[in-house]
Amino acid sequence: MAGFSELIKNFDKIRDYVRDFFIYGCKVRGDFDRRSTRTYDDEKRRVESWLGDCIRYDDSVRGRSVSISVDSGHIPENPLYNAYYSKSFTDNDIKLHFLIIDVLSDGSRRTIREITDIINGEYGQLFDEQLVRSKLKEYADEGIVIAEKQGKTMYYSLSGDRTEDYIKGYAGLEDAVKFFSETQDFGIIGNSILRSADLNNDLFFIKHNYMIHTLEDVIIPDILNAIDSRAYISLETFSADKASGKEKKPPIIVPMQMLVSVQTGRRYLAAYTPGTRRFSAYRLDFIKKVKKGAVCDDYERIKEQYERNISKCFGVSFGMRRDTGAVTPVKITFYADEEKEPHIIGRLEREKRCAVLEKTGEHLYTLTADVHDPNEVMHWAKTFIGRIVSVDGGCDTARDRFYDDIARMKEMYGGSNEHIQ
Amino acid sequence: MNIFSEIYGTYFRIAAKLLENESCSEKTVREEIACRGFRDSVLFLPQKIIPGDEDWGLFRRAQDGRLVRITKNAPPHIVTKMQKMWLKAKLSDPRMRLFMDDDTISRLEEKLDGIKPLYHAEHFRVTDRYSDSDDFTDSTYIANFRAVLDAVKHRKIMYIEFTSGHGNRIGGKFVLLKTEYSPKNDKFRAYCFWLKNERIRSSGIINIGRITKIEDTGRVFRTAVSVEDFFSERKCSEPAVIKVTPERNGAERFMMEFASYEKHTVRDLETGVYTVEMWYDLQDETEVLIRLLSFGPVIEILGSERLRSLAAERIARQYDLLFGNNPDDVG
Repeated sequence: MAGFSELIKNFDKIRDYVRDFFIYGCKVRGDFDRRSTRTYDDEKRRVESWLGDCIRYDDSVRGRSVSISVDSGHIPENPLYNAYYSKSFTDNDIKLHFLIIDVLSDGSRRTIREITDIINGEYGQLFDEQLVRSKLKEYADEGIVIAEKQGKTMYYSLSGDRTEDYIKGYAGLEDAVKFFSETQDFGIIGNSILRSADLNNDLFFIKHNYMIHTLEDVIIPDILNAIDSRAYISLETFSADKASGKEKKPPIIVPMQMLVSVQTGRRYLAAYTPGTRRFSAYRLDFIKKVKKGAVCDDYERIKEQYERNISKCFGVSFGMRRDTGAVTPVKITFYADEEKEPHIIGRLEREKRCAVLEKTGEHLYTLTADVHDPNEVMHWAKTFIGRIVSVDGGCDTARDRFYDDIARMKEMYGGSNEHIQ
Repeated sequence: MNIFSEIYGTYFRIAAKLLENESCSEKTVREEIACRGFRDSVLFLPQKIIPGDEDWGLFRRAQDGRLVRITKNAPPHIVTKMQKMWLKAKLSDPRMRLFMDDDTISRLEEKLDGIKPLYHAEHFRVTDRYSDSDDFTDSTYIANFRAVLDAVKHRKIMYIEFTSGHGNRIGGKFVLLKTEYSPKNDKFRAYCFWLKNERIRSSGIINIGRITKIEDTGRVFRTAVSVEDFFSERKCSEPAVIKVTPERNGAERFMMEFASYEKHTVRDLETGVYTVEMWYDLQDETEVLIRLLSFGPVIEILGSERLRSLAAERIARQYDLLFGNNPDDVG
């Protein structure tokens, strides 16, 4: 394993691997045939290093498989945050980091020349001014130093904002950061604040926690930037057909909104695709890179259209009307005894989303969903198996599939108990 | 500006920690690395810190053998622009009110004046959250939440009255272990032990939104208890055993949806069928069952016996509702 480094340059590669370890679990080295053995071993070692006890090994005739097995509802900190903390850097990067901060930590405002001279003179280093300039520019962008122009000269000083002052100066902020550091929408950044203050989340667990989402956060700022700029973007994706190694032309789209499912573990980017003149949802975990393009002049009209369309999505599907033809509202009637089973009616009420629920008979409740894709409603409706009295409307394929599924499940579970373990 | 940056990295953080003191020993270096680094950092990082052929040059060795930093001051912990943008975004989250009062939020807003929030709530749309979220703006809820949080921090014994999920009114003394949030339910709950005569009677989970009264008894629970004990007591004794077929992309969908559970997976190379053992909290059994059933015939519950029979019962009832007892109606 000579030459192995714990640090990584390329976040995309690790996203790809972790996803495979995390989702499929039982893959062995041979399954990663598109990559070299060395790459597989290195990535595996990194993931093992980050995830420690969450890694599980199983030996088979095909080799040792690696999987990530963790009850993510019972962990105080997402172990995948470690991927973000593994960025490689040069010796100069780390040296200049601490030297620049040290030179400016007396509260002074200095020019690039002065800072370079002090670093080289007082600290006995040999950095050229260009290198210091470039690092200062980077740190001004990061908010670590403040750059102020006076006349033609740029002066740099250290930001006065300290993590400890924030945590101690605003009562309740520490607990808030502990909580938000484990929730969606860039929890990793909250975690970086905690780590900076030498704190950790000792208060909260997150149920229904899809910790792999954090790896997608790396591309979201670029998408948000494009949304705010009303710009087109092109997407580079991890090839859906990885084994074939086929490269697809990146789609050009107008990003609208991030769609988050808290039940299926998936997050999507909802976007308008001019090429097909349709709205679509792109899986965030399949998006590798986002490239911002020109401003979309027609953005307002598309956005209005999007709002109309999204209100008729039960989940994230904008439907396949071309394939299924016109869709009429799907009507599902459920059985629930008002006296003995109020919790079922409660479930229907809180889970119905954009559908309408009404009492249509004694112990009968009918849900009407006028949505783009009835299949999404039927998937949810199957959580009520045992109570569905009838299904009407929607499209033939969704209804037929439901009836067929129940018949197959009856066959599967209704016979002998030979499968019972 | 990117969170995937070395300035937030583990190596930078360890170096910063070691630079806090004017000097340190090699032993301290190795201890800090073992404590704060990745599993294998002890193999790679010491030689970057300790003066030698590969070091970064942040320390020089003194005559007494100690490592002396080349910098003059302890490095400050600076709040970066990205961290400020994140805080600014969170200030608009209604859950922030659970932690901070309005005056403090206003002060922080003032402090972050001119900072662009990292995102706006409307950038994200949750598609399948339940509609009966806790009311995070309700003053009673906020007070109860803070009382729970304080009790968790200090292991205080609290007298709590609440309404159970079945509508029963319950009151008693509890020790609260941890707070849990579910994005699916948008609710907070507290893991607790119910006490009788200062001894643990049973374990449970209380929805903070269902608390009607919470009072500090003035006593602290000193018996050593761990969250692990709490969970192991509630965990199913037998895992659910699920056969997942490749039909309709079943394996990928199943693995994603159940990614948050502890699992063990085996794949049959001939058929592409996965067999998954999955462990869950017994209290969540119904939730697990209905989510499994929503996959239809793409998966089959092979075990436990109890879980399979619960599924079979519901399916038989469903079959009768759709087809009566006439198998000719199928299709």
